[in-house]
Amino acid sequence: MVAPAQPSRLDDLRSLLDEIGKDPAGNAHVPFGHVHSIHYARFILLEPTADLSGRPIPAELIFMADFDSPLEDRLDDLLTVAGQGLIRLLSHCEGFPPAASRAACKSYFLDHVTRDAAYYVNTIGVGVDQVLGESRLHEALGEYLDATPELRSGDPAAVRRRVAEWVATSSNLPWALKQPSRPDLAWRIGELLHMVLIPLVGLVLLPLIIVALPFWLIALRLHERSEPVSIAKPDPAHRHALERLEDHGPVNQFTAVGFVKGGWFRALTARLVLFLIAYGVRHIFNRANLAGVKTIHFARWTYIDGGRRVIFASNYDGSVESYNDDFIDKIAWGLNAVFSNGAGYPSTRWLLWGGAKNENAFKNYLRVHQAPTQVWYAAYSSLTALNIANSGAIRRDLIGGGDETAWLLRL
Amino acid sequence: MNLEVADIQGLVAAGYRRLRSADYLLFKIRGQGEARRWLGELAGRLTTAQAPVATTGLNLALTSSGLQHLGLDDDTLGSFPSEFIEGMATPHRSRMLGDEAASAPGNWRWGGNESTAVDIVLMLFALDAVTLDHLRHDLAVDTIAGLEKVTELHTADLGDHEHFGFADGISQPTILGFGRPAPSRDLIQPGEFILGYANEYGLIPPGPVVSSKADPRRILTQASDGSGAGDLGRNGTYMVFRQMRQDVAGFWNFAGQRAATSGQGSPEKLAAKIVGRWPSGAPLLIAPDSDQPNFASSNDFAYQADDADGLRCPVGAHVRRANPRDSLDPAPGTDRSVALVKRHRILRRGREYGPPISSDPSGPRPPLTDDGQERGLQFICLCSNLVRQFEFVQGTWIASPKFAGLYDDADPLVAARSPAGSSFNIPARPFRHRLMALPPFVTVVGGAYFFLPSIRAVRYLASK
Repeated sequence: MVAPAQPSRLDDLRSLLDEIGKDPAGNAHVPFGHVHSIHYARFILLEPTADLSGRPIPAELIFMADFDSPLEDRLDDLLTVAGQGLIRLLSHCEGFPPAASRAACKSYFLDHVTRDAAYYVNTIGVGVDQVLGESRLHEALGEYLDATPELRSGDPAAVRRRVAEWVATSSNLPWALKQPSRPDLAWRIGELLHMVLIPLVGLVLLPLIIVALPFWLIALRLHERSEPVSIAKPDPAHRHALERLEDHGPVNQFTAVGFVKGGWFRALTARLVLFLIAYGVRHIFNRANLAGVKTIHFARWTYIDGGRRVIFASNYDGSVESYNDDFIDKIAWGLNAVFSNGAGYPSTRWLLWGGAKNENAFKNYLRVHQAPTQVWYAAYSSLTALNIANSGAIRRDLIGGGDETAWLLRL
Repeated sequence: MNLEVADIQGLVAAGYRRLRSADYLLFKIRGQGEARRWLGELAGRLTTAQAPVATTGLNLALTSSGLQHLGLDDDTLGSFPSEFIEGMATPHRSRMLGDEAASAPGNWRWGGNESTAVDIVLMLFALDAVTLDHLRHDLAVDTIAGLEKVTELHTADLGDHEHFGFADGISQPTILGFGRPAPSRDLIQPGEFILGYANEYGLIPPGPVVSSKADPRRILTQASDGSGAGDLGRNGTYMVFRQMRQDVAGFWNFAGQRAATSGQGSPEKLAAKIVGRWPSGAPLLIAPDSDQPNFASSNDFAYQADDADGLRCPVGAHVRRANPRDSLDPAPGTDRSVALVKRHRILRRGREYGPPISSDPSGPRPPLTDDGQERGLQFICLCSNLVRQFEFVQGTWIASPKFAGLYDDADPLVAARSPAGSSFNIPARPFRHRLMALPPFVTVVGGAYFFLPSIRAVRYLASK
């Protein structure tokens, strides 16, 4: 959700966000910890600015969340738990009705919802309850093994059998013996159709693409060679504002916002690339591995301000330095393809090369464009994506599946 | 690549292991003019990477406050990276580096806050204690005009072993151009350790520069960016200094008490699982069951092919996190993984301090009584990018309880223990052994980031 903030009430809004940000799970206004099925949520206040042609853009309040069920259900939950808080927050925004009811708040919210251009989910279909449950399972099995040294004399198959028997008789773990519920058939058919149809459409358009490609490549190189590159270094106050919010646990948030370069060519290229990324993360990189990076929980690219800016937001494991290094060392091509359409990005060659490989320029660019995430909620801030994947595999193979020797190494 | 060895301080090229006595003297600058004059006289005496080490060695490094107190202008200071300017002890860095609980900067003797900040470290090396004394006398270290000595950090010569009793310093990167033989995974581009040269990305990163106005006598060479600015960084590097106290009795008594319940049988075996090498230095990867001194200096090995699961060397063991070799994503066991690790190497130049706890030639073993004497490591490392090298290794590999898919295992040997990170998993068949509630064995008691300038840069700083 993106809503313009009232210029006269920005200070008020900032301090309200700071208050919520101190205790995102339990604060008095929007206690995310009481809302069911939200993995991560954040509020960001983007400061007023001007676009590339000098047109002013007001301050904007942005809300993002990663949740399990349809938006309307989650919003209803959120309004039930935090209706007053949300109304108070949104009352700082332009056009919010005075003395709004929950219903009015809901319709304002829905009116300001923006679709993501691309949305990466570490593993599609794994809900908050499943993550937390499987994490408890891992912990409980660990304690059981510690407390049952006589198991060591058994062969691997026998040990796993004993563990499964113990789970079956435990008071609060038998659910783990069933496989997690899969998304329903209709959803899977829909995904399959989408996966197949898009390339088919591409195939039909292939002659057109072949004709257009040389022109696009020439235009691309001309742009790449003439576009200005920003040499700005992050301002210390800005950097401190970001650092204050970082590394409080193993999982971190990242929000960055930047202008799409002017002109139709870059606007079109950005749309095309994000379209391809959306397809890629939906059908190819949807099993805990984003082209070699296994530390990202959720990531999204969203157009705001009528397509003039793109906001990128993610939840990732480790420090911002390790995140940036992953970008450079593992998926520079992907980063380049998207972000090189952003104003000031380090020069790329043929869209995929260069760019992020210019280490200092790239790190400065990201830091300069990063926005402080005033409110960041994480339902399981002590679990990395690797932990979640491992605990999930422990549950999946608890009975039967896979090699028991390898399974035991996961514990 | 031709390295300008006559302009590079010798510590970059070598740890002077032949010079068995050393002192690190920490100063604050009290008189700018006098300090500059002293620096100017010292410049010609500093040991360079060119001269073969004789009977003494002398090197010098400065913190950002040191540069400031010498009168470096704000623009020049601002061209240094922010992590160097702000130093090691900011709250954000402490979270990232795991300098928490007893290791928090608030408890440090030096470097932890304004009042204990230091400006200059003078590093003295000598063949023996007598020669060191001569050198100290020669330099009149107790009466340098313009400098106030904050503290002296002494060192102890324990041979090749450190206080816990393990051979140390076996795995070191080799700077390409200094020409020593090493396995290819340890051959690192000079730009990773010396400013002004190409690094592992094939780039010469921007270093600190001086505007041409601020260097009227053209003492510095011109920066390669064509701006006409003087290159203050070239042939210099950054130096991390952390004084780390070791609880040797605590470590070995822990190994003694938990040897049986951890399934390791002997204290040595549990200690080796924690370290990743046996006391002799033999790597667990090569000698998984018992110490084999004939493999003491073995260093040409990788983890993925033979020990991806850590059944020999636990994934959480100290040496496997400090240098994961070929074991990390995205493609463990391949050159891609090795190339990635090459961007996170450091040159270690530390020395022990304090008396050894035991005179037993085989090293300390439980049970031990704490003799109340302080001992530890004056940890020193060099790198050209503090964030990507030292801080990454310390934060992402050593201090993080989540290293390589672990759940709650910070480095079992050297990490501070905040509530998190105090378990240690030892992979085994049919299932792992797990130690809980590890106490800290190492505590940081002081530290700072320094700039180890080139000889030219020292002359420039003196000329200001």
